[in-house]
Amino acid sequence: MSFMELLKKGPFYLDGGMGTLLQKEGLKPGETPESWNLTHPDKVTAIHRAYYEAGTHMVAANTFGVHPQRYSTEDCERMIRAAVDCADRARKEANAPQEKFIALDLGPCGKLLRPLGTLEFEDAVRGFAEVIRIGASCGVDCVFLETMNDGAETRAALLAAKENCDLPVLVSNAYGADGKLMTGGTPESLTAMLEGLGADAIGVNCSLGPEALTPIVERYLAAASVPVLMKPNAGLPRDEGGRTVYDVGPDAFAKEIAALVKKGLRIMGGCCGTTPEYIRALTEAVGTDVPPPVVKKDRTVIASRGQALELGKDPVVIGERINPTGKKKLRKALEEGDMSYVLNEAISQEERGAQVLDVNVGTPGVDEPALLESAVKELQAITDLPLQLDTADPSAMERALRIYNGKALVNSVNGKQEVMDAVFPLVKKYGGAVVALTLDEDGIPAAAEGRLAIAERILKEAEKYGISRKDILFDTLTMTVSADANAARVTLDALGMIRQKTGCATVLGVSNVSFGLPEREVLGSTFLTLALERGLSGAIMNPLSNRMMGAMISFRTLTGRDENCGEYIRFAGSLPKLQAAASAAVPAGAGAKEPETSGLRRAVIKGLCRDAERFARTALEAGQDGMELVQGEIIPALDEVGKGFEQKTIFLPQLMMSAEAAEAAFRVIKEKAGARDENQGNGTPVVIATVKGDIHDIGKNIVKLLLENYGFAVTDLGKDVPPETVLEAVERLHASVCGLSALMTTTVPAMAETVQLLHEKAPWCRVMVGGAVLTEEYAKEIQADGYGRDAMAAVRLAERFTKEGNGGQAE
Amino acid sequence: MLTEEGVRIVELGEIPFDEKEILRYAMLPSFAPRPEELPLQECLEAAKGAAQCRAVWRRYPLKRDGEILDLGFTKTASKDLRRHLEGCDEILLFACTAGAETDRRIARAKMASPAKALLMHAIGAQQVEGACDKLCGQLAELFRDRKLTDRFSPGYGDLPLAMQKDVIAALDCERTIGITLTESLLMTPSKSVTAMIGLKEKKP
Repeated sequence: MSFMELLKKGPFYLDGGMGTLLQKEGLKPGETPESWNLTHPDKVTAIHRAYYEAGTHMVAANTFGVHPQRYSTEDCERMIRAAVDCADRARKEANAPQEKFIALDLGPCGKLLRPLGTLEFEDAVRGFAEVIRIGASCGVDCVFLETMNDGAETRAALLAAKENCDLPVLVSNAYGADGKLMTGGTPESLTAMLEGLGADAIGVNCSLGPEALTPIVERYLAAASVPVLMKPNAGLPRDEGGRTVYDVGPDAFAKEIAALVKKGLRIMGGCCGTTPEYIRALTEAVGTDVPPPVVKKDRTVIASRGQALELGKDPVVIGERINPTGKKKLRKALEEGDMSYVLNEAISQEERGAQVLDVNVGTPGVDEPALLESAVKELQAITDLPLQLDTADPSAMERALRIYNGKALVNSVNGKQEVMDAVFPLVKKYGGAVVALTLDEDGIPAAAEGRLAIAERILKEAEKYGISRKDILFDTLTMTVSADANAARVTLDALGMIRQKTGCATVLGVSNVSFGLPEREVLGSTFLTLALERGLSGAIMNPLSNRMMGAMISFRTLTGRDENCGEYIRFAGSLPKLQAAASAAVPAGAGAKEPETSGLRRAVIKGLCRDAERFARTALEAGQDGMELVQGEIIPALDEVGKGFEQKTIFLPQLMMSAEAAEAAFRVIKEKAGARDENQGNGTPVVIATVKGDIHDIGKNIVKLLLENYGFAVTDLGKDVPPETVLEAVERLHASVCGLSALMTTTVPAMAETVQLLHEKAPWCRVMVGGAVLTEEYAKEIQADGYGRDAMAAVRLAERFTKEGNGGQAE
Repeated sequence: MLTEEGVRIVELGEIPFDEKEILRYAMLPSFAPRPEELPLQECLEAAKGAAQCRAVWRRYPLKRDGEILDLGFTKTASKDLRRHLEGCDEILLFACTAGAETDRRIARAKMASPAKALLMHAIGAQQVEGACDKLCGQLAELFRDRKLTDRFSPGYGDLPLAMQKDVIAALDCERTIGITLTESLLMTPSKSVTAMIGLKEKKP
């Protein structure tokens, strides 16, 4: 029987611990297990052989820690070859009747990926690709990715395996006692992602004993359509007379695991603390039991890093607001590569009940592939909602799908052959559920039956790629009812028909229906209700609209999906508060007119954002000039706070609250000035960044806020910024001041390098530095023009540099 | 698999919030008035459930070879550490982290406002420091027949930060509690601590 046939049939036995056994054989602390492939091949071989003789079908070659992050390519190759040789010798020498296989065993590379760490996704892929190519050339039977505790790294490794060999890939993750990966993945989210990428078997190993892992394995069994594996530790380690012992013996270990075979577990072995004895006990405990066949789960599931979401059961809200169509501000932000607008839209939609976020960054004049990739990365750093990647550009779709951590909703494919030829291969390779629009080369059929016919053709084409029906969702295209009285009816009929005939989930962009009409939400919310009644699975809509959300939540409540009307009551409770907040912003200051301006000054000094905003607004409404307010009230208030900070009578949180209150007032003033003064960045341009290698940016962000308060036009390059990028920005903006931050002694060299580059190539720019490890002397040593011991000092420096720069050429 | 002999993992969970400590980490001295609109409660709400504090520790014999300290997992010539470990014959090496979710919540707060980000940082710091205290309490109990020194971390005094590499490897941190080092020796997740504690004879 072939490897895959055996795996699918089960029970299939893996091996147990290696490190602990090598330690018994004399592996010293600080010595790596993989180095023994070269120095003690006989001992490594003997352990493999003992596992085969205990009943193991597949041993993991002793390559767990071999990775280009730790070793040179040559060393990787030597160690992997030696490891496979050991396993192969054991296979030949073992006195064991079962079929025997060897896996290339790979663990985490030891570096955390962005955004939590600094390793780039593609660098992680490249590293794994290197060792996988070596392993494949050594003739292993499969790739075994194990003990992976980060979903993004797991994705990188699996993608590397799929791109660099034809071997089956088994993927095993390490969960904490809370049922989550270290970076937050769950059995359901991992299942969705790994199956999408084509893993041949998935499951769990290490970290816990069999009892604690059982509920996690059961969740895998409930979610997975591929074979599930399990490799627990021998319980938890404890000290016994100076020796480490594990608290679960072979028989108890075997019994716990064997109980899962009847529930569908088919691939099993042990991890830390287990020995050949455990594997033998396991084969005996399972005996002649055979797991029930693997059942294909017929569900439409998408996932983010840590959340899986099923579509087609309860209707979900897909937030539509990250889309530049008709949004001038967003378009401008995207043109400037500024993601903060996108990120804030994400957070506000999530807070108002969006369950998926549509992400569309396509606007003329931008590099959409690069922009979509960066939007996905940044969004996934701050939200755990699954994303709907919305682009018509296949290369943008590929880049976004490649780095998307999870299983995305792909928006969209349609019945045009050319589009299917471009999109389906991407869905096949990277995984994803795809929204299919019921249109083709001939346009949008006017009748519902025509749209159904296209849907069926799309399903046939997807089948050719092996894309499951459950991963196709249909969008029957909402047309504007003002243009065609029957438009909505046909869309709804097609929706109901497709839902019934194909069983597939459905999606609609709800808002279009009311285009060109007044009070659009009135019409839109009723359309939504009708669509939901016909079986709509996902509504692409504006979650910030109470009327639209009201329709969605009411539908859930009225169709038995809202136990005790809890969701409805919570939603209703949020309504009056919203209205009150909206109206409170206006009238509060209406009574008292005179003390308004001094009120503004006080509000900034006290750090009262709402008051600052209100006082600024009433002062403007009373006819005060915006610039006068800034010069006469806000700046003096900031100065007072700044002085207090310098004299240590005011402290950082107070300074920041004042800065935020000032910012709130500025915003109001700018809004009023809006039309007159499009260009807000009329201050002195300043570039700031946290230097390469450093990912701490709190200090830099505080400096940014204060500089902006003081009227500088700040361009913030973020953290971990290479010297060349800083130079590029300084040159482009002809910035006269640049601020660099570094927190660690280890990143000061990068700061010195940046300072030097700037002095050399942009001599007009004065560089100020700051950060935890820096001192006045240190700053001098690396030839910075100034040292900012805190945020206020940075403001003073920037002011001084600007003045000097204006006075004459700063050399 | 790779877990070295003697490495112990301790689950410390979420540490109770301590507003006073949090404000101290946010650089607000205890005598200063708390700004009226400081969004502390909002941030505490946003941080709830984020921290998953975990620690890993290991005991090593301490040997001296002239000016050199042999810590069991590495050697060092640090004078400050030698002074700190005066009279000790063993050390406890540990690493502790508040976990990845804490970093994520901080990143999210950054979007809202710098003041919130500052507070979220402070909450993270209080969590990991509180977790270290809790761990040290447990260790003091476990080694109650010995006297324990304070904590001493790589980067303190003349003890080089480069030692982080040895510490992370010795405790198998990547696998045991998920701490990794960047090229510039920053720990990820960022709210993480490594340190040593000396053990010595208890004076009667």
